[in-house]
Amino acid sequence: MAGLLAKERIIAAPGFNRWLVPPAALAIHLSIGMAYGFSVFWLPLSRAIGITQPVVCPADMGFFARMFATTCDWKISTLGWMYTLFFVFLGSSAAVFGRWLEREGPRKAGVVAAFCWGGGFLLSALGVHLHQIWMLWLGSGVIGGCGLGLGYISPVSTLIKWFPDRRGMATGMAIMGFGGGAMIGSPLANLLMNHFKTPTSVGVLETFVAMGAIYFVAMLCGAFGYRLPPPEWKPAGWTPPAPQGNAMITQRQVHVSQAWRTPQFWLLWAVLCMNVSAGIGVIGMSSPMLQEVFGGKLIGIAGALKDLAEDQRAQVATIGAGFAALLSLFNIAGRIFWASLSDYLGRKRTYFVFFSLGIVLYSLAPFAGRIESVPLFVAIFCVILTMYGGGFATVPAYLADLFGTLHVGAIHGRLLTAWSMAGILGPVLVNYIREFQIARGVPNAQAYNTTMYILAALLVIGFFSNLAVKPVAERYYMTDAELATERQLAHEAAARKG
Amino acid sequence: MTTPVMNDASRPNPGSWALVAVAWILVGIPLAWGIYKTLQTAVVLFR
Repeated sequence: MAGLLAKERIIAAPGFNRWLVPPAALAIHLSIGMAYGFSVFWLPLSRAIGITQPVVCPADMGFFARMFATTCDWKISTLGWMYTLFFVFLGSSAAVFGRWLEREGPRKAGVVAAFCWGGGFLLSALGVHLHQIWMLWLGSGVIGGCGLGLGYISPVSTLIKWFPDRRGMATGMAIMGFGGGAMIGSPLANLLMNHFKTPTSVGVLETFVAMGAIYFVAMLCGAFGYRLPPPEWKPAGWTPPAPQGNAMITQRQVHVSQAWRTPQFWLLWAVLCMNVSAGIGVIGMSSPMLQEVFGGKLIGIAGALKDLAEDQRAQVATIGAGFAALLSLFNIAGRIFWASLSDYLGRKRTYFVFFSLGIVLYSLAPFAGRIESVPLFVAIFCVILTMYGGGFATVPAYLADLFGTLHVGAIHGRLLTAWSMAGILGPVLVNYIREFQIARGVPNAQAYNTTMYILAALLVIGFFSNLAVKPVAERYYMTDAELATERQLAHEAAARKG
Repeated sequence: MTTPVMNDASRPNPGSWALVAVAWILVGIPLAWGIYKTLQTAVVLFR
């Protein structure tokens, strides 16, 4: 089995079609992308015992007692910790295991990711059966989160090596899958829960088992579809651009242990963190924001959200959900669009567009609210979301341009800690600023204005960080001797003989 | 800019394109279904 997963076993034979690698990567990213859609389980899980209504825990029950309690239901805020754990462990595992991935190859990483993600679902199913929230946190949050990290970075370096002529497009295709995973997973989970629910069960346990099995098989298929190009492989009819052609694209290599010591790494860390913080903030509040800013206008009547009748609020909430769904479509479209465009524009210019256009659009959003223009408001956030997705999808190619392709997977893994940070920073900023505004007596409809200006300020930091990115200094590059040693360690010598 | 060179070892087998189509269909169908379901939810915004 170990041999089957070894890096040297997956060197592609002559005539292999490189277009087989992106669907393999997509199979993994579409599976782990369900992390974004986990909120579909919160409501049914919050009445796992009561079935029709949640059984509320006694008010005097402490935190640890609630963790092990089997007689009362979990609160949605308690379940929501799983979401935080996903992104913390995604970033940390990508950072910790990135080097291991480069050494052992993408297939082994993909298989381990499948065991973690699929296994996490199974442990969570057991947690639902025994009604132990810690088993859900551990199963899906921690173990599943590690699967997310490994699965996310597993195809990056491989795709960049297969598509040296279109690095952005190649990684964009895979990372688009991560954005699209919830689009498949959420409706699938709803279908399965409806199928499995009975008068004594909300159907989540069986859904976890089924989805764990589906994702496990899909991810294994993806992992076994990975192939590495032979050393020095190039696409037919393509030669690398001349080294002096573009100083922002190096033909040399920076070791992962050196990369994080460079200012370029930390500038890109800030670029990713700021772009993601602003975007995550918007995603989290998109539906309530539209409802509160426009209220009754969304259904053609006057009045703020709080003044509407119950059925009118339900109509407005449906429109809010539609807005969130539309944003998710633009999020995935932006991943492939901007990443592909970056192959022509260059990465630095692409991020220049993200930040400069983003600053203008975030600053314009309160104006759209003030003039009560729903189409303008929706259009602004659709474009913002394309740039949020585009930021994720373009960064691996930016890293490969600056640091070379040898350790790009591991360097990308370390950079993803910026995502973990943004996952905390973005929502906290947005929620606290909104609450602070409301506490000061600002009407709900205007409480988002300051938030938008602060998110625009985050993009200003990102703008200057991107502007400061220059080619890596000579001293950080690997020497020929170091490169030869590294290749030996990475089993590439074995592949040459094979 | 790049200059074209002949590199036959890198050229994919002609028969491999059928496999490429199958692989893309396998990931494309669930993705298309997900996009369709999302569009169904999003369409209320335009009514």
